[in-house]
Amino acid sequence: MMTLASYLFISFALFAAGVAVIIARKNIIAMLLGIELMLNAAALNFAAYTRFLNNNYEGHIMSLFIIVIAAAEAAVGLAIVIRFFQIRDSIHVDDATQLQS
Amino acid sequence: MFGSTLFIISALLTLGGAFMVVASKNLVHACVFLLASLFGVAGLYATLGADFLAAIQLVVYAGGVVILMLFAIMLTGGSQDLSNKYGLNKIPGMGSVRTYIAGGLSALVISLVVLKILANVIKSAQVGELPEFTTTVEKIGTMLLTDHILAFEISSILLLGALIGAAVISRPRKG
Repeated sequence: MMTLASYLFISFALFAAGVAVIIARKNIIAMLLGIELMLNAAALNFAAYTRFLNNNYEGHIMSLFIIVIAAAEAAVGLAIVIRFFQIRDSIHVDDATQLQS
Repeated sequence: MFGSTLFIISALLTLGGAFMVVASKNLVHACVFLLASLFGVAGLYATLGADFLAAIQLVVYAGGVVILMLFAIMLTGGSQDLSNKYGLNKIPGMGSVRTYIAGGLSALVISLVVLKILANVIKSAQVGELPEFTTTVEKIGTMLLTDHILAFEISSILLLGALIGAAVISRPRKG
């Protein structure tokens, strides 16, 4: 049961859920949730391949950097969302039609 | 036995959480289901023998990112999936049956192509018994500070830049 294919299937389902969230939701914070799901799918793939292909921990390093980048992305993205809400009084993605306030 | 039980529980938690993130209407509920899904991914890391990654996943995501998301949701007051000021809550042209059929078919074709490419890799993978449990913290620490020292330092500068950038972007406007 714990084969590479099952881990890849779980990762694929996570990525598909992230894409579905980004396509279906119109709320910017919800789209950031979808990005987190997709980054988790990528990190899980790295960990699974490093276990089943050569077991030399390089993939763990890559997953670690993916987690770091996801944290930085969430901080900056949410700051932009809060700034956007101060200016436009909305967090709907269709209201973000011009960059200048 | 314990490993496969943990794998089944974690996989169900991950997939169910991800599905509920897609399905739930309330944004706070979606955030909590995302937390469940991230816990499941941490369990999957544990079944892969990556104990350090599982701990980091719990600390960074459960302690940091999800709380940050909840803060942003509360600050913007948008727990509902609001429509915009014109009352639109969908892209025009999305939501008809034809677009869903086209999207599903294209996703099927893309996944078949990717699986065809990956099939050889999956077959050639060594599927053996899990080795005796050894902690990975020492090896990862050694590798981070020898082979990957440049990426390590660059990521520290990236985090500093993200911290300052977030503070500068979201500061209240003067005057």
